[in-house]
Amino acid sequence: MDSLSGATVRSHCVGTTAVVYASDYLNKLTGEKIERECRRQLDSGCRALVIDFGDTHLVNSIGISILLGIIDVAEKSGAQIVFSDVNNQTVELFDMLGLTRHVALAKDEQEALSNISQLDPTPTLH
Amino acid sequence: MNTLTSSDNFRRILSRVPRHEFVGRAAELERVAAQAKQEKNGRGLLLLMAPSAGVSELLRQTFDQFFNERTEVIPFYFAFSRYGTTAVSAAIEFLNTFLQQYLAFRRNDPTLCNSALSLQDLVALAPTADLDWIDQLVQIYTRVRFSNDDKELVRFCLGAPQRVPTKHGRPFVMLDGSQLAENLNTGVAMGTEVLRVFGRADLSFVLAGLRRQIINAAHEAECDFESLDRLRLEKLDTDDANLLVENVARRQQVPTSSEARELMVQQFGGSPLLITSFLQAAHEKNAALVSYLDCERLYADELLGGHLRRYFDELLEEVAPKLDTRIALIQLMWEAAANAEKSVPVEAWRKHLSLPASEFVEILRGLHIYEFVNWNGPNLDATTGSQVWKDYLKVNYRLAVKNEPRALVVAEAIADSLKRAPDTMALHYRQLGKVTLRKILDQFDCQHVPKVLFDYSTFATNYKGMSDVELVAGLKSESEFFKLPRTVHVASCFSFNSDFRQVCEEDKCAVGHSFEDGIYNDEHEIIWLAAEIESKMEVEKDTTELWFERLDSLARTLGFLRYQVWLISNEGFTSEASSFLQSRAAFSSSQRQLEVLVDQIGEDQSLRPRPLDEGDEFLMVVPMGDDNEMLAATTVEQVARRLAFPPAAINQIKTAIVEACINASEHSHSPDQKIYQRFRVESDKLVVTISSRGVLPKNVGSGSSPSITNNNEAAEERRGWGLKLIRTLMDEVEFERVDEGTSLRMIKYLRNSSG
Repeated sequence: MDSLSGATVRSHCVGTTAVVYASDYLNKLTGEKIERECRRQLDSGCRALVIDFGDTHLVNSIGISILLGIIDVAEKSGAQIVFSDVNNQTVELFDMLGLTRHVALAKDEQEALSNISQLDPTPTLH
Repeated sequence: MNTLTSSDNFRRILSRVPRHEFVGRAAELERVAAQAKQEKNGRGLLLLMAPSAGVSELLRQTFDQFFNERTEVIPFYFAFSRYGTTAVSAAIEFLNTFLQQYLAFRRNDPTLCNSALSLQDLVALAPTADLDWIDQLVQIYTRVRFSNDDKELVRFCLGAPQRVPTKHGRPFVMLDGSQLAENLNTGVAMGTEVLRVFGRADLSFVLAGLRRQIINAAHEAECDFESLDRLRLEKLDTDDANLLVENVARRQQVPTSSEARELMVQQFGGSPLLITSFLQAAHEKNAALVSYLDCERLYADELLGGHLRRYFDELLEEVAPKLDTRIALIQLMWEAAANAEKSVPVEAWRKHLSLPASEFVEILRGLHIYEFVNWNGPNLDATTGSQVWKDYLKVNYRLAVKNEPRALVVAEAIADSLKRAPDTMALHYRQLGKVTLRKILDQFDCQHVPKVLFDYSTFATNYKGMSDVELVAGLKSESEFFKLPRTVHVASCFSFNSDFRQVCEEDKCAVGHSFEDGIYNDEHEIIWLAAEIESKMEVEKDTTELWFERLDSLARTLGFLRYQVWLISNEGFTSEASSFLQSRAAFSSSQRQLEVLVDQIGEDQSLRPRPLDEGDEFLMVVPMGDDNEMLAATTVEQVARRLAFPPAAINQIKTAIVEACINASEHSHSPDQKIYQRFRVESDKLVVTISSRGVLPKNVGSGSSPSITNNNEAAEERRGWGLKLIRTLMDEVEFERVDEGTSLRMIKYLRNSSG
């Protein structure tokens, strides 16, 4: 189900998994939009989130802190969360700030969806 | 010499500027101090100062240096005052000051230098070892003082330093403002006496004064010039003047911008005195000097009633004490300057002023010494003063002579300065890094260079289109060389014929007097006449002929017997033009040939154009917020690509820049809401400085690892990750606290990033 809400973040649903697409620059503004969309999707009954970073070239620390917030929310909701198509430089940033300890990474959207369908609904904490 | 530069040890006594902020005079300081050496004993140093070049602080710094060093050199600094009345009073002041400073040094008590002490007080303070000779000195002084022989008294006082017992040290006398001593010539010619006493003394001394006055004074005093050294003190060069402006602005807490600072440097011609006065005025008025408008508003204020006005008023009053004479002089000088009259008959001025000949001569002499005019016998040139002087003349002419409304004069002074400011800076920027013909000709000193550098046609045939490496290799295999003459004098063509003003800029044409093989006789004398022709393409024959004729005609008019015409053009000359020049035995060069020539002949680094890929700097100012950090990131990406940083490193740099900008935006509480970015490219690294006005961020220096324990702690820590990221992504990170805000300096090395 594609998002037709007032938010400008692009997203769609595959079953009970929402795929949300991050923009080219993940900062406070765009991060909050993603957060809002993720919350909306979770409130609508989605049980897994895939945030796709295929278009994302630059992330700042505020954006990362918002992502951590989204992870928190997902965990509290019992939802799985996977980040897909993250470029190497962004992975490096996520590593530096400990994000990758709390979220799985997938090569692309397809792999993320595949991983979610195979995984236990309860996220595995490392 | 043991120089004490540690601020912890170095006591500031007479100097007014902290040693580390005393810029642009390191070489002069060393030279003046060297005059105190044993081998210089008995030799004097004449410090020939350009007007407002600022010599007093140089001498005061030297005094402090020797005072702190505590060697056998006993420093003594005495400044003649503009407000002194007679030679006798100045001499008495000299004696008092000498004893004060001597005792301060002997007792190692700098406070004595600035105390108000009578001669009796000083005797009482004398150490036991000095008591005898000082007491005797004062007794003799008392006798001579009331003997009605002014000349004897003056000589006695000036001779006091020579009475210091040798075992107590060697006085080093520094006298400041010798031209002012001449104003005290009431019965005793003070200036002459100073030079006579010290010229014959067995002491090293420095006499500082205006360059046009001091040599004449030495002649009048019949000094032995073989025992006198000379040092010329010019105004500061651009870099030093910029540093001076920065330092003084910081001390005076005057907000400035780099644009405004550069304007001040150019507008005041690098004069330390004028720059310092101007910033002092800004401080007094609590004015910021951030824009051209700020500067010119204050400038107009200063010209009409501030420090600048007072400075020139005092000089003019010294030259012409009577008010009506001064007003008449202002009219004459302004009208001559405004009409660009380079040669005015002196007699015309004398008639206009209606003054006795002797008084008129004294006035002319004064104007000449202060370089308000160039006076050479029957004529004078009133167009040579500084721009500040001319602006002062103009406003005073309009107010005092034309009686124009003050508000109109103020408004137009601001407007005129504002209109001129961009041209002032444009002229400076054009000259920056530019190799001028004058400089090149000045460097000719019998070097051997490939002949092809003066023959565009051959050069184009053999080397056009080659890379620099290929060109250099090719030139090395050249077999025909040309021996340059030795240049003895170079000047712009303007100086020989003002008609050239109509056809080119001053630094685009030059006349160089030289001698082949460095042999000074008629047969070897040759004059080079060079001109740069503005053209984006190869210069055509008709333009070439025109320029050749101009230079050839100049040479014939001036009676040059042997001369060499040399034409330069950016892109060279067409084949027809080259043939024409060859037929006339004229030299032709393109810009590229010129650059190679500079490389071949120049030890002087100032001749070399700065390579484009080294030391380039990019500046950018963005408003905070609105994701403007992305503009900075995009710009630095382009800059980093030029240095061939790999993509991963570029991304790291971009991320660091973004974090730095966000850090500045979120934490600095900047009053102007601007982020200043400077990207400096060096051969092996990129240096990025992000600055903002405001407070030091709280998370500075935080090395805490961003580990996540629980969500609440995480929320607190998340906001402090920016600096942690920066330190991880960049090779070097330095946070500086500056007066007005903070500055974050980050470096990424190329070698760490490649592979």
